[in-house]
Amino acid sequence: MSDNEPENEEIRTDGTGIVAPDNETPTWSERKARKTGLSRLTYEYFERARREDQDLRTESDYVERDVLAFPTWPHETVRNLSIASFFVGMILFLSATMPPHIGAPANPSNTPSIILPDWYLYWSFGLLKLNALNPELAILGGQKLMADRTYGVLANGVVVGAIAIVPFLNKGSARRPVEQPFWAAVGVFGVVLALTLSLLAIKNLMPMNVDLLFDLTFFLPVVFGTVTYAVLKTMREGYMYDLNRRYYRLRPPK
Amino acid sequence: MADEFIKGLGILSGSGLAWMVLASWYRTSSFESTKQLIEPLSSGASEGIFNLIAVSLMDVFLWFAILGALTFWILIPAGRQVMSELEKRRNAQ
Repeated sequence: MSDNEPENEEIRTDGTGIVAPDNETPTWSERKARKTGLSRLTYEYFERARREDQDLRTESDYVERDVLAFPTWPHETVRNLSIASFFVGMILFLSATMPPHIGAPANPSNTPSIILPDWYLYWSFGLLKLNALNPELAILGGQKLMADRTYGVLANGVVVGAIAIVPFLNKGSARRPVEQPFWAAVGVFGVVLALTLSLLAIKNLMPMNVDLLFDLTFFLPVVFGTVTYAVLKTMREGYMYDLNRRYYRLRPPK
Repeated sequence: MADEFIKGLGILSGSGLAWMVLASWYRTSSFESTKQLIEPLSSGASEGIFNLIAVSLMDVFLWFAILGALTFWILIPAGRQVMSELEKRRNAQ
């Protein structure tokens, strides 16, 4: 047994063995005075995880496994508990403070005036309302090539087709939006388009001009995509690049 | 930088939550209304001291959410950029 390991569990007071971390432990004001909070914390966290991993590997009963991950207890459990506590607290808070609302009972013998699908299908429902985009052809004497409803169904095919080819695209090695600003902007475009199409689907309920709503449906996604591209480009050249320098050194971006 | 972001986000979400609760009492006739939370004040809003306090707090929370996020996300970072730029020019001379 080496010298610095105590033979019993008592803390010796002669300066050997385990020493209470008194003068090396930073006070709260010292912690607060640190200006490199997040990057320092990230570094310390990963450094500590790496050290624990190294210690585990050097133990005599260590068995190499295929899966390398954080243990469920305590890491994952503590995180999940805090998330679950937040949502339980949110439910309790809202149910305690918001006014109760009990609507009129549904009348099964009466069809409602506005029929809508479930909210997560609103984007598809919005694609059925593209009447203004269905082109009139001069060769047909100003008639439309297909009915508006056929056009809407075909528009659904375009969106579903675009999503269906995603698994066949080369995804590259990028793991965060800063590394691929263009594709991140494409993703933001798609998300915002889904949102605005959903709002178009409920245009009967939207308190705004319908024509303006239709224009914004296709204008806003372009705006948000452009802003995302610009912001990510700037972040890549700016401070985030420094913050993630250690990460990029391991796996440089293309 | 990250601290300023979470301060702004905390103010926006916390104060916005408080505004939403009060507006759901005083500016919502029905949760099926398309103008819930932004309707004119309901009829009983000016009766009694507690209703008056709540109605004024509703505006306080709304503007605190907007101005707080604006301050920590735009004004303070912009001010710091200006200060560091001025410092740089002063050192260059």
